[in-house]
Amino acid sequence: MKKSSSIRLALMGSAAFALSACGEGSALPQDARYYPTIEACSADYGAQPCAEAKTLADATQAKEAPRFTQKQQCEAEFGAGNCETRQEAGGGSFFTPLLMGYMVGNMLGGNRYAQPIYRGTNNSAVMPRAGRLFNIGSFGAAGATAGAATSAFRPAAQVSEVSRGGFGGTARSYSTTGG
Amino acid sequence: MIRESVTARPDWRAHVETDLGFAFHTIDGAPYWDETACYRFTAAEIDELEAATVELEQLALALVDRVVDTGEEALERLRIPRPAWEAIAGSWHAREKNLYGRFDLAYRGDGPPKLLEYNADTPTALFEAAVVQWDWLQAVHPERDQFNSLHERLIEAWKNFGLRRQRVTFAAAAGHAEDMGTVEYLRDTAVQAGLETEFIAMGDIGWDGQMFRNLNNEPIGVLFKLYPWEWLVREDFGAHLLTGVAKVIEPAWKMVLSNKAALALLWEMAPNHPNLLAAALEPDTIPGKVVRKPIFSREGANIEVREGDRVLAATDGAYGAEGFVYQSHVEMPDLNGNFPVLGSWVIASQPAGIGIREDATPITRDTSRFVPHYFE
Repeated sequence: MKKSSSIRLALMGSAAFALSACGEGSALPQDARYYPTIEACSADYGAQPCAEAKTLADATQAKEAPRFTQKQQCEAEFGAGNCETRQEAGGGSFFTPLLMGYMVGNMLGGNRYAQPIYRGTNNSAVMPRAGRLFNIGSFGAAGATAGAATSAFRPAAQVSEVSRGGFGGTARSYSTTGG
Repeated sequence: MIRESVTARPDWRAHVETDLGFAFHTIDGAPYWDETACYRFTAAEIDELEAATVELEQLALALVDRVVDTGEEALERLRIPRPAWEAIAGSWHAREKNLYGRFDLAYRGDGPPKLLEYNADTPTALFEAAVVQWDWLQAVHPERDQFNSLHERLIEAWKNFGLRRQRVTFAAAAGHAEDMGTVEYLRDTAVQAGLETEFIAMGDIGWDGQMFRNLNNEPIGVLFKLYPWEWLVREDFGAHLLTGVAKVIEPAWKMVLSNKAALALLWEMAPNHPNLLAAALEPDTIPGKVVRKPIFSREGANIEVREGDRVLAATDGAYGAEGFVYQSHVEMPDLNGNFPVLGSWVIASQPAGIGIREDATPITRDTSRFVPHYFE
């Protein structure tokens, strides 16, 4: 046979929309905000929601925090002075980037969002997400204590201006031809 | 090859919309998907089409090799802007993989298929070929065969791209239903290959001075663009794309083939090849009736059929600024006033199936209808 033996659609067709919706999800929630400590979060949202957010972020931290056997490996990735040593539950130790705080969101609704934030090279703010690391912003000042205040964190969009509209113009100019 | 009149499934509209997500079966009020007819081939004809497709893809890849080797002179003849040259050579030398392409063939079964043009960069009519005509055959004659393993080969091709855990960002011009449908289908196959995907409109792609960004300002590492390279390189962000900061599918070397001047270079490389039509960049070099095509164009725009100084037929449009290619005219098969063009697909450079579009005139335009096929 020269025809496909079976065809299943994951995104298209009516059965697909549910799949599509949960396949998405790299976006930060609208209200996502960086807090250096859970106390700072509590000032905005109260102790209970922020404690829940911390539990969530700690679970991610335990599961997804990058681990290195040598300090040099960690610093090569995250920059000098941005790594610390941690103890394994079983006794050994490893190196991992400094926990600088939390990105939390959806604090007023369900589906709470909370992720640990590390400092990377050039004071970048780095967030783990589904096994990958995202550069989501930067910390305002250098040094181990920088970023201690919410105001020191700047989201990526404000750090380096992202311009848009540099593609797509030709299609618009041909739109009247029905191309 | 025979055109058969058949009865459409009474509920086909609701079925293709609901079960397949096929939204553009009707375009501007006119039918695009047309199951009141179908084409029947013999197995020998399908073998001939498949063999010709293998042959044409080999010729096409040999041409890229030749153009990259020849360098400046060939690239200038192809009207490829100088800033793109290095990206073309670089992507070719790095053996960057390609996903797909569609050879448009003139064929009626009484001689070798002839290449009208190669849509190597942004071919569409893929979903209807891969899924809708397959679904039609399974519904009306599941025991029959069809030259169409597009869906399986697409999923396989994505798995072999070597993208591992990188997310693929799919981009197309906003507001074009057909392009959106095609890109959504390609995304569907990528998802089934285990890849993480997202969609962005071309105009929403961001540039921060170092890399491309999606609307969440996350980096775009792999960009599938259903948008012609020849447009991209001339737009504001084109220079950034050419630095290789993101992996692009199709790769930059497809610029050599997506360009109709390549038809003339193919003929120079393989003159009198049975699957090629004589073609040249200069007028009056091809004897007899010729078809003048813009080097860059879509959907049959700005085509002229000429004999000497006489213009026998013409279509309008906004293309042609970069010049024209002149191709020997081939009489298109006329089946009761229907003029079919066979789109023969390659996925990862392997023959993968055909889709037929027919028009009421010998020049296939964006008013054409997609008609399914089977063979026995």
